[in-house]
Amino acid sequence: MLPIARGIYGGLVNITRNSRGAIHTASGFRCKAETSTSTDEKDAESTEVDGDDSSSSSAPDAKDRSKIIPVETSMRYLKSAAYKQTYGEDFVWTQYRRNHKGMYAPRKTRKTCIRQNRITTGNPCPICRDEYLVLDYRNTELLEQFISPHNGDVLSYSKTGLCQKSHLRLRVAVQQARDSGYLTYDVPFREYDYSEYYGQQQKQKA
Amino acid sequence: MHLLKHLRQLNGLQGLRQAIRQVSSAPTKPSALQYERDPQPLFTDAETQRLLQSMTQLNLDRVYRKRTVPDNSSEIKFMTNEQLDSEFQDMVVRAQHMLQMPPIVEIKKDVERVIDKDPALKDFANTKYVFTDITFGRRQSERKVFVRETDGTLEHATLDTTKRMNQLYFPLEGRQSYTPRMFALEELLSKCLTEHKYEFILDRLLVQYEPYEAEFHNISARVFEHLNESKQFDLLRSTRHFGPMAFFYAWHRCIDDLLYDMIRRDYLHNAVELIALSYKVHNIPVEYEATLTELDKLHPTPAQTALAELRSVFRRPEDKQGIEQEINTAIGKTDQDFAADEISLKFIEQYIASEHSLKKVQLELAVQTLKEVNREKLLLFQGLKKAHGVQTS
Repeated sequence: MLPIARGIYGGLVNITRNSRGAIHTASGFRCKAETSTSTDEKDAESTEVDGDDSSSSSAPDAKDRSKIIPVETSMRYLKSAAYKQTYGEDFVWTQYRRNHKGMYAPRKTRKTCIRQNRITTGNPCPICRDEYLVLDYRNTELLEQFISPHNGDVLSYSKTGLCQKSHLRLRVAVQQARDSGYLTYDVPFREYDYSEYYGQQQKQKA
Repeated sequence: MHLLKHLRQLNGLQGLRQAIRQVSSAPTKPSALQYERDPQPLFTDAETQRLLQSMTQLNLDRVYRKRTVPDNSSEIKFMTNEQLDSEFQDMVVRAQHMLQMPPIVEIKKDVERVIDKDPALKDFANTKYVFTDITFGRRQSERKVFVRETDGTLEHATLDTTKRMNQLYFPLEGRQSYTPRMFALEELLSKCLTEHKYEFILDRLLVQYEPYEAEFHNISARVFEHLNESKQFDLLRSTRHFGPMAFFYAWHRCIDDLLYDMIRRDYLHNAVELIALSYKVHNIPVEYEATLTELDKLHPTPAQTALAELRSVFRRPEDKQGIEQEINTAIGKTDQDFAADEISLKFIEQYIASEHSLKKVQLELAVQTLKEVNREKLLLFQGLKKAHGVQTS
């Protein structure tokens, strides 16, 4: 009973602390998402908070990415109020800006934002910064945000700012989703030569 | 002829292919409704084709919807009216081409055709040899593929092998060398069906399978059956799949839901055509040609309607439209349409009264409501005409 209560208290502290903070890290809102949407997450979180409490009385490490978030949670998150509050009507990558010195951004984005289950950069890419965005072929709502409405391609990382690793995972997920029918695309038009199927009599007619 | 010796590590792939077969066996199990005899002569019949095309309709907005393909650039040109008109005509022709119906043919059975047995070549290698003719410009169906088995038999390749070889040397855009998971796994296919992605499934089916394959028949039958239950027929209207769908229903005597949909949407001439088609398919001795010719006189073909719609840009806004035209557009129907409706309603009621219809009550109700709406429209139409002093001819 006690640890759970403490966990909830920790969460509350977090909320108050983060509501003052900058929006662009997005991970601040995950606590809210948890309290409103899922209970099992909260339990997990509470134990985590517990562990932290014993060593030092600080909030859970915001840069830690060791916990694997299931896709179902991510799909629920995308529909939740917390998501809406964080991103509004925009795509997850619209508000993201790359950090670089000089006028021009390097041609490629960074190789990865997460090394050894920790965020190792100050400006992680739109997917890595929010741990509840899981790239998976079932997560169509997320994948659709990265598909061009004009030609149906996956948007380039120069536009979305994804790190190379996330971009690769995104492309794989889109391919899988298309193959299993989760995402639709325009199938190339197939022209039939009827005489190939109908045999001789048709040939004479035509 | 240019023969290319081609060696495949068949033994290595055998296990994998078997695994795929096992997975793919689920959704491609024979559906309840199959074409029990060859549907091809009936389908290719000129009258059937005309009926199906008329039923499909031609909605240019839907045919030329914006596609997310790599090249969908548009071009802006200055044109004279004559050039524009010829461009419109081309556009309708191209649209009709895009509505080309996929062929409906029997399932082809594999026949073993041994050319030669050469026991001397037994165990010459521990893999099969596949010989493919890759002459340029030959049709897929004419391409010769042979297999030399390890026991020295030389034979024509199976349909499966032939298709794979064709895909290897002359790839068809969009076709996968493996069974797409959507078709391989039952739950994925049913998920697509419940989400009403009918056009996508059918488009993909056309590209992935040949019309004579069993999978093609099974999956398309499943889609049509599901469609008959969900009654979302409008999703396929003015696509290339509408004709085969109507033909499928006519063949399997389940046109009533589609008929109901057509009556509800006030496509009465289509309803008549559907009934005529089912009479034709089942050789029911009911005279329908007279009604059809009468209706044809009153109704323009889909292509003509589409062209007329395009040509409406030539009408200048300051041009005074005839008051009659104005009334027609306000009501949405003309004299001819009312006349056509009367003929079609008579024919449809005749069908509903006969023993061929299965959902009599539903259809009767639909007809009744439509009749009332039509009567009101007609009254309004005549009233407007009288008020404006237009002579009724």
